[in-house]
Amino acid sequence: MIDPGMVARHVLDSYRQEAGLSHSELWLRYFELGGMSTGFELEAYLSGALVPSPYDRDVIAHALNERFAELGARHPVTYLTECGGEDPTSLSP
Amino acid sequence: MHASSATPQFSAATTFEGRAAIVSLRGGVDDVAAFELATIINVAIDGKPASLTLDLAEVIFIGEAGLVVISNAESRLVGAGMVLTIRSPSALVNHHLGSAEKATLEQTPPGNGHLGPEQLGVVDVVSQRFGSSLSAPDLRRVAGMPTDPDVVDGALNLVVELALASIGDADGVSVSLRRHGVLSTVAASDRTIMEMDFDQYATSEGPCVDASVKGHWFHAESLDSETRWPAFTPRARALGIKAILSSPLRAFDQPVGALNIYSLTASTFKVKDQQAAAIFADKASVILRDAHIDVSDRQMALRFQEALRSREVVSLAKGIIMERSGTDEEGAFNSLLRLSRHEGTTLRARAEAILRSVAGPERGPEGGAS
Repeated sequence: MIDPGMVARHVLDSYRQEAGLSHSELWLRYFELGGMSTGFELEAYLSGALVPSPYDRDVIAHALNERFAELGARHPVTYLTECGGEDPTSLSP
Repeated sequence: MHASSATPQFSAATTFEGRAAIVSLRGGVDDVAAFELATIINVAIDGKPASLTLDLAEVIFIGEAGLVVISNAESRLVGAGMVLTIRSPSALVNHHLGSAEKATLEQTPPGNGHLGPEQLGVVDVVSQRFGSSLSAPDLRRVAGMPTDPDVVDGALNLVVELALASIGDADGVSVSLRRHGVLSTVAASDRTIMEMDFDQYATSEGPCVDASVKGHWFHAESLDSETRWPAFTPRARALGIKAILSSPLRAFDQPVGALNIYSLTASTFKVKDQQAAAIFADKASVILRDAHIDVSDRQMALRFQEALRSREVVSLAKGIIMERSGTDEEGAFNSLLRLSRHEGTTLRARAEAILRSVAGPERGPEGGAS
């Protein structure tokens, strides 16, 4: 039985790798946006050992999306909150 | 349970030769087997052996998790003042190369380019696993937690072991790295090799120093006729070293160190060895790049200062939104996120715009910050 939450978290880590960010650089970007979790906790979110709150999940998603924007890509990481639906730049999966 | 149809049964046996522990692996090391392997290695290390050898002769497949386990074991052993030796990875080739390439490999005459089939095996596996198509994500995972210097050193020790096992006539291998502006040896196959490196740092010359500074490779084919490093060369000759091959390690296009290969035989390194050395140097560079080894303390401080400033701007903007709309912090973040995405700007840029709107046109974002 596949846990959908687990899949989602692994997807986040795949995005991190695709964006070429180390764990520490992603944490710094997450911290810049107001994230409150430690680097250790962030790694646990990405590996699936801990479940981030929806708020934390969106901060991580946005940190990744800003990195993708720097690389010239549109925002590929979807958000959990409703703002995702109103975003004209987001890619539909 | 763990042996799927695609992955042959894994088994491992630990034997002792005196105080030297030898862990012989067999079959396929998939993710589940890697967990078992970690336990077996830890038990072997807990027995406090004088040395630990991993015999991979019967291994036909090893996944990323297995490589991480070996890398971690290396770190643990180095921490305990021991060395991990990796023996006979030849059977790996059969799985990784597939039938067509395997046939080509089998046709390669032994000794061609001073690399026997065993050595070619390691190079090919490393090249294939970590080559351009797979390189970055795979090695990131092999390197594990890249910001911890002990783990980075452990991964580099693994590179040293693999290079030593793969490059024909290599009698010693080391990795030199510039940390906090000082060049030092972070991984070496033995004490003599470490001494060789130190002699180069002490004299500020030698292939290792030049490769680390100039960022291209240096080959001292025969130290008996070598004239480029007059202060260092006699010291190397005194220790019996005849040939040195140093390949640069680079991170973000800057030379940050060197992979050094020493031999007691002159004129021994051929083109094939130079190519193999370049592969190992390239892979070590990936580990270093991911570990942000090249980032100086000052750059790190500036980066963190910048992050703090961004966080402050975002916090202030959230406060303004909360005050204006009576929402909570998460609601304010979501508004900010929505605005920035709608306008196609970064969150920080949107937050700065909000601060400017409060501060008035004649004041910058800092003006309204207090």
